[in-house]
Amino acid sequence: MNVLIKNIYNPFKTQCQIVRNLHVSPIYLKTQAGRYRITPKKDFPLTYEMANPPHMIASRKAWNSWNTSNVQGGLRSSETAVEDHFIRKFMIGTWHGLFVSEIIIKRQHNIIRIAGLISRTASSRKMYFLIGYTEELLSIWLQCPVKLELQTVADKKDVIFKYI
Amino acid sequence: MLNLTKNIERIIIRNIEKQYIASYFSAPNEQNDDFKALNLKTNKSQFGPRRPLRKVKPVETRTSQMEVDQDWGSVWPAPRSFHPAVVPLPIRQGYVEKGAPPDKYANAELMKIPNFLHLTPPVIKRQCEALKKFCTPWPKNLNNQEKIEKLFPIEVISSDYCHSSPTIRDPLARIVTIRFKKSALNLNERETDKFRRLVGERYNEENDTVTIVTDRCPLKKQNYDYAMYLLTALYHESKNVEPWEELKNEADMEKYVWENNASKVNVERLFNKTSSEIPNISVYSEALVNYMNEGENDYTVAKYGEAVKQLLNLPSSTK
Repeated sequence: MNVLIKNIYNPFKTQCQIVRNLHVSPIYLKTQAGRYRITPKKDFPLTYEMANPPHMIASRKAWNSWNTSNVQGGLRSSETAVEDHFIRKFMIGTWHGLFVSEIIIKRQHNIIRIAGLISRTASSRKMYFLIGYTEELLSIWLQCPVKLELQTVADKKDVIFKYI
Repeated sequence: MLNLTKNIERIIIRNIEKQYIASYFSAPNEQNDDFKALNLKTNKSQFGPRRPLRKVKPVETRTSQMEVDQDWGSVWPAPRSFHPAVVPLPIRQGYVEKGAPPDKYANAELMKIPNFLHLTPPVIKRQCEALKKFCTPWPKNLNNQEKIEKLFPIEVISSDYCHSSPTIRDPLARIVTIRFKKSALNLNERETDKFRRLVGERYNEENDTVTIVTDRCPLKKQNYDYAMYLLTALYHESKNVEPWEELKNEADMEKYVWENNASKVNVERLFNKTSSEIPNISVYSEALVNYMNEGENDYTVAKYGEAVKQLLNLPSSTK
């Protein structure tokens, strides 16, 4: 459908036409976020988190961020979202290539507890250093106590739920 | 900073090159025989075979070393994410279409959900015991609700909010509600009338309570003080009699009061007695007040008729 609108008044006395096109075809409602495509060889590994699409949150899988900001009447929702994103970025960068699961951020009062699964490739000395480093820096930036609660996995294949 | 370090490196490398060139040209000829080729570029052959990575054997899990009669409260003293090596239970979580749900090892779902492993019944009991010394016993004389209501007539209600965020401030925490029975103020009829007009819809007739909600100040303390001020002001204002209040006459009355009306005078004249001496006068006055205040309906009219017959000692129609 084309709608033709002509300029009624033009201060420069030049002819001008504004053409506006309206698309009236139905929207192609195909949700793709958080879903994985089956590969021909069926060898693409998925963790439990990846295997369940977003609409399974609260039934088959739980949230990765736990806080009261998004409940009705919750405070600091935007700040919490930005902080959570920052924590995730920081964790992925600091524990480079070590995380084999999503980063779980749980907040209780002013404590932030960061949980997740990491592979056992780094030496324990390095890991102790990284835990202290992360806790210290994050608690300085976020101005609240931060605790790291990690679980190590001997092999990356341990977290794989299925192949598609 | 990066550029500077790069520059310094370049200068150092250039100096080394110069030194080498200088040493090459100034070297005596006899030494040329055992001259070693200068290897400035690194080759793969320079390094030996790669050392195999030393694998550290993981320590045995804590669950395998636990005793049966251990104190669980000291193993898991505070809230914490689930850890399979610490919890000696065969827990499973997750959904699998066919087969058993995933077990506790490398299970991120178990780490997500909040657990209450730090609040087992013996731990709660122990914590309560520890808290007991900070508690004071309930006053013995305050053993029933009536006494409590009489001695503490004002009920103050305010809320505190806990959030999972670094701030402890919540704007809703400022709201203070005070509740008290109107009868606790000991007001007479005129004062009650004025009090009710001042309070308006904050008075609940069904349970005789006045509820005042204050939320206009930013802090709880300020709102509480304001509520107390309102209560004091209400009390004294209802006790206070303004000069224009004296001008209220029978036409301004919101209710029919038998004692103030012509009906009382007429009855007294009819019996030639004061109203307190006339038998059945209370029944008559009550019926009349009901009739005037509630309006004319079958019930009030019938009641009024009965009362008049009783007053004049006439035979009742129902008998």
